[in-house]
Amino acid sequence: MRQILAVTAGLAVLAASACSAPTPPRSDAPSATPTGPATLPAPTGPHPVGTTARYLKDTSRPDPWNLDADARELKVTLWYPTEHRDGQRAPYMTPKESELTLKGLGVAGVPYDTLSKTRTNAIHNAEPAGKKLPLVVLSPGFTKPMSTLTSLAEDLASRGYVVAGIDHTYESYATTFPDGRVTECLACDSDTDPGFGTGAVQGRAADVSFVLDQLTSKRNDSGLIDRSRIAMAGQSLGGAAAVAAMLKDSRIRAGIDMDGTTYARIPKSGFSRPFMFMGSPRHVPGGRDNSWSRDWKLLTGWKRWLVLSGADHQSFTDGPLLAGALGIKPAYGLLPAARSAELTRTYVTAFLDQHLKSQRQPLLNEPSSRYPEVTFCPATCGQS
Amino acid sequence: MTTVRTAAAGLALLLAAACTVPTPPRSRASTAAGTACTQPQGAPGAETATTIDVIEQAYFCILGNYYSGATLDARSLLTAGFVALTQEINRNGRDVPEATMPALTGDRKADWTAFEAAYRKTTDQVPDLRDKLAIVTLEAIVAALGDNHATWTHDVERPPDYYDGDGYGLGSQANVNAPQMNGNPGAALPPLFVTTVQGGAAQAAGLRPGDIIESIDASAPFIDGKATPAITALYPQYPEARPVRLRLLRQTTGRRWSVTLKPGLYQRDLAALQVVQSKLLDDGIAYVRLAGFAPDSADRVLKAITRLRTGQPLTGVVLDLRGNGGGRPAEATRLLSAFTHGKVTAYQCAVDGTCEPMRTDDTVKLLDLPLAVLTDRSCASACEHFSAAVKDLRIGQLVGTRTAGVISGPARSYLLANNTLLAFPDRHHLGPDREVIDRIGVPPDHHVPLTPKDAATGRDPALAKALTLLHK
Repeated sequence: MRQILAVTAGLAVLAASACSAPTPPRSDAPSATPTGPATLPAPTGPHPVGTTARYLKDTSRPDPWNLDADARELKVTLWYPTEHRDGQRAPYMTPKESELTLKGLGVAGVPYDTLSKTRTNAIHNAEPAGKKLPLVVLSPGFTKPMSTLTSLAEDLASRGYVVAGIDHTYESYATTFPDGRVTECLACDSDTDPGFGTGAVQGRAADVSFVLDQLTSKRNDSGLIDRSRIAMAGQSLGGAAAVAAMLKDSRIRAGIDMDGTTYARIPKSGFSRPFMFMGSPRHVPGGRDNSWSRDWKLLTGWKRWLVLSGADHQSFTDGPLLAGALGIKPAYGLLPAARSAELTRTYVTAFLDQHLKSQRQPLLNEPSSRYPEVTFCPATCGQS
Repeated sequence: MTTVRTAAAGLALLLAAACTVPTPPRSRASTAAGTACTQPQGAPGAETATTIDVIEQAYFCILGNYYSGATLDARSLLTAGFVALTQEINRNGRDVPEATMPALTGDRKADWTAFEAAYRKTTDQVPDLRDKLAIVTLEAIVAALGDNHATWTHDVERPPDYYDGDGYGLGSQANVNAPQMNGNPGAALPPLFVTTVQGGAAQAAGLRPGDIIESIDASAPFIDGKATPAITALYPQYPEARPVRLRLLRQTTGRRWSVTLKPGLYQRDLAALQVVQSKLLDDGIAYVRLAGFAPDSADRVLKAITRLRTGQPLTGVVLDLRGNGGGRPAEATRLLSAFTHGKVTAYQCAVDGTCEPMRTDDTVKLLDLPLAVLTDRSCASACEHFSAAVKDLRIGQLVGTRTAGVISGPARSYLLANNTLLAFPDRHHLGPDREVIDRIGVPPDHHVPLTPKDAATGRDPALAKALTLLHK
């Protein structure tokens, strides 16, 4: 998975003149015989899960990437508890989105619609059940459709959360709008510019605030969401966006960054809302990425810095679960897909249960023999 | 991509003139790998100390892969290394009786063995200096190639509080910039003056474009019209943090004063950092500034022009390449292909004189618009590839000052055992008329230098000249 999905890992984007060598040819990625369409693991919570898409238009600002669009359009995918166990499972993505995503990732050797055949668990457009549920905003990695966090989203919904996953338009290989338009990754043009990450997370923070405005407005209020219990989690640039969004929007009470280099400036006076870094071993203190150490000093409230041995950048996404279907052989030593999904779901849920549901989570206080892969930094993890 | 981005982590490399070319197919890379070093795949691990074994690897890597590696006199590299070694020992107030150069025969392997024995005997006497001596020795061996695209990137440190987009230093740029001091200080002309204030200490101290820098830490920037190393102090690199004292003259008011600027991180304007910036000027002229030949940059320029063209006809294009430190040769060729077809934009030549032409990509749609290109002494490498082709192929006119003359050939990177990167070309660059551009640069068709007064008043005489030419 690494070689294939590592495209965004390199997003770090440091130098202007971009005298860079390109990624090695995709054909170098170890290949295996494709296993056929993937099936996402069943959610672990008590509730069946429903999902639906919302299309929102922010007319107060122009699109940051498409200079010809004077408004910002966003697709938001909601996952939530439902009472309906039967019904059509939601598609993972459209065949066209699958094609654009595989082309963007440089995956060849499997039919381009392969990802659209991924079997999900959520019931398409099922009626939501519940009142005043806590809300979790999810933000995917750069170039990745929101679908790539479906396994996590479904699990959170099964445990009683409403999940709002944002496709940040033009920052993904493919986003489909109701009129049939499929937007592609315009932002990919400038992702080697210095300051790209800093600008991108500012834009995502604005996306998140707008989505919160819409989902919690009195006009749209169906009573499903508890406006006082909102958190955000994201992978890669999406995790960096969680920091940026929390700094800008005090409605977000807690946040998680999964393996994302961060870009937003935390004020020197500090930031006190709960925050958790969760990363692969490249994010140990003293590693190549300085950003977590820089931010850690400025986090003054409840905080954790977890590193998962055997994880890579995509371990926090559906990536490993899809590898077999794409004919990609996982790198040696990488956590098995089911295990990385379990670890991600378990620790994200523990964090949210503690901070949005006020349920104390011993799991977050110290290493657990059930999850020996997880180390607590910076105290007990050295540089690998 | 990660590899060079990581190398570029040094903020200084924002200015990098030396650029790499795409990794060749595995087959070719592994041929190169037969000799001592391989091209990096993915992000290198943490750097470790430079040792004599790393120097040995670099020596054979150069001999096996460098442009003239097969023919150069390897003794010159070892001698340069030993000179640096002994000077560094002396600089530390020491000396070692055994520090004498061994006799060399011209047999590359035997000479290395002799060098290594002398090196070990010498450095064993001063173990506290060992790491530093290894560094100066390898630096000197690379420098002995006399190739402005041969670099060794090591000990790259980033300030711990760095944010993406931040600058490090005094916060200003002068008409003689850092790559120019590294690559072609001989081209620098007095007076030294501020061209841009980006932030940091310079901004806090109230510096403005056009301010003349009369002295740097009490040293003159020019002596008898020639640039002095004092100018280098304007561009400290992390972790250098010693304050720099400048004496300034503001011509408009006659005010003369001194400031002390402490280097540090400073925030830069994100909009100004975009590699491609464009706007529509009067009379349907598209102005596009390209700060580097980054991946996709040719397409970004063409998209910008197409967008400006929507709804109104264009009458010309001004491409501003001032300060463009280069990038990928393929991007230069791609952008040229929007202006001409069926041509050779450059030659990449091996030491035996055989050359590979770089041809235009004739699938790129022609813009069919008159072109003026703004150049200066900081237009380097791929930027000069582009400028030379504009001139030789009569695609447009060059306005401004001569380009940098820093274009020996596109560099390839090689990973050394201690996770540092060696980079150098395996071919040298010639223009479309098979002319050498390296160290000479490309002369503008219209010589329009920037004066301190222009900088102070925000006038851009080169752009004005370009517009005049396009209106003709």
